[in-house]
Amino acid sequence: MVLGIQIAGLLFGLFMIYYSFIIYKRKEFAAIEFGLLLVFWLLFIIVSLFPYFLEPLVKSLNIARTFDLLVISGFIILIASVFYIYKITRRNEKRLEKLVREFAMKKNERK
Amino acid sequence: MKINNVWAIIPAYNEEKNIAGIIKKTKKYVDIVLVVDDGSADRTTGVAEKTGALVLTHALNLGKGAALKTGCDFAIKNNAKFIVALDADAQHNPDGIPRFIEKLKKCDIVFSYRSLSSKMPLVLRFGNLFISNMAAFLYGVKLHDTQSGFRAFSKEAYKKIRWNSSDYSMESEMIARAGKQRLKYVQIPIETIYSDKYKGTTVLDGAKIVLNMLWWRLFNSR
Repeated sequence: MVLGIQIAGLLFGLFMIYYSFIIYKRKEFAAIEFGLLLVFWLLFIIVSLFPYFLEPLVKSLNIARTFDLLVISGFIILIASVFYIYKITRRNEKRLEKLVREFAMKKNERK
Repeated sequence: MKINNVWAIIPAYNEEKNIAGIIKKTKKYVDIVLVVDDGSADRTTGVAEKTGALVLTHALNLGKGAALKTGCDFAIKNNAKFIVALDADAQHNPDGIPRFIEKLKKCDIVFSYRSLSSKMPLVLRFGNLFISNMAAFLYGVKLHDTQSGFRAFSKEAYKKIRWNSSDYSMESEMIARAGKQRLKYVQIPIETIYSDKYKGTTVLDGAKIVLNMLWWRLFNSR
């Protein structure tokens, strides 16, 4: 029997595939990026519908339920993503600041 | 470009109403008035240019620290010997500039302090006192007012205190670097007018400054 949470997982996965596809069509993702995301979301849907695929992994990690494994994995991915985004934002901030400051000074030198 | 010694640097953000008055008063005491328009949406650049200031314009708003750094870098590149930094919101009276220059002949950096009178908003008074104690404890720099932006420093001092902060933390970073580099400093009292209570350092900025001060003490080698 398919539970409500599994239907939510399926719908979420399908929505993310659609959303990734839109971004790909806008040429904001390369084909390889879209391909990798497609694989990721398809795996997400498969795991949502057939969680027993992960049973061997759940047992070997001494985790009580498959759902717990998904929650733990989700947190790990979330923390890693936040860290990565923070790093990129800081780098872009510094680049932008350098660019704006240099441009302001150069513009005046030309006067 | 003509070699000049004393430059006044005024970072400005949406200050079309105040900037002309500040420039006119400041021009009397320095060789060059340099306004750094930090991405204003109003006519700050136009008004400043019309009043006779040299103007650098940031295409985007980066923050006071970044604007002042742009101005200082430009001034040093053009042979400035002494730099006076003041705010564009008419909070600082440029008539005090000669006292800064006079003191600068005997030290590396001149800080200023506003009287902690009833005119200063209560939250600013408390925050300022707390940050001042932190600066004394962490860096050995004892100042009455760590957040006053009316300051002056020599070319040599600037090279040692050049900050990374792009926002209001810059004022504290300058103190931290001055303390670490053991620069000679003095502080002088100034007259202050609070014109806009929604501008300047907020409580959140204050919290960020305190955290930054700890960070610089623990992890910044220079």
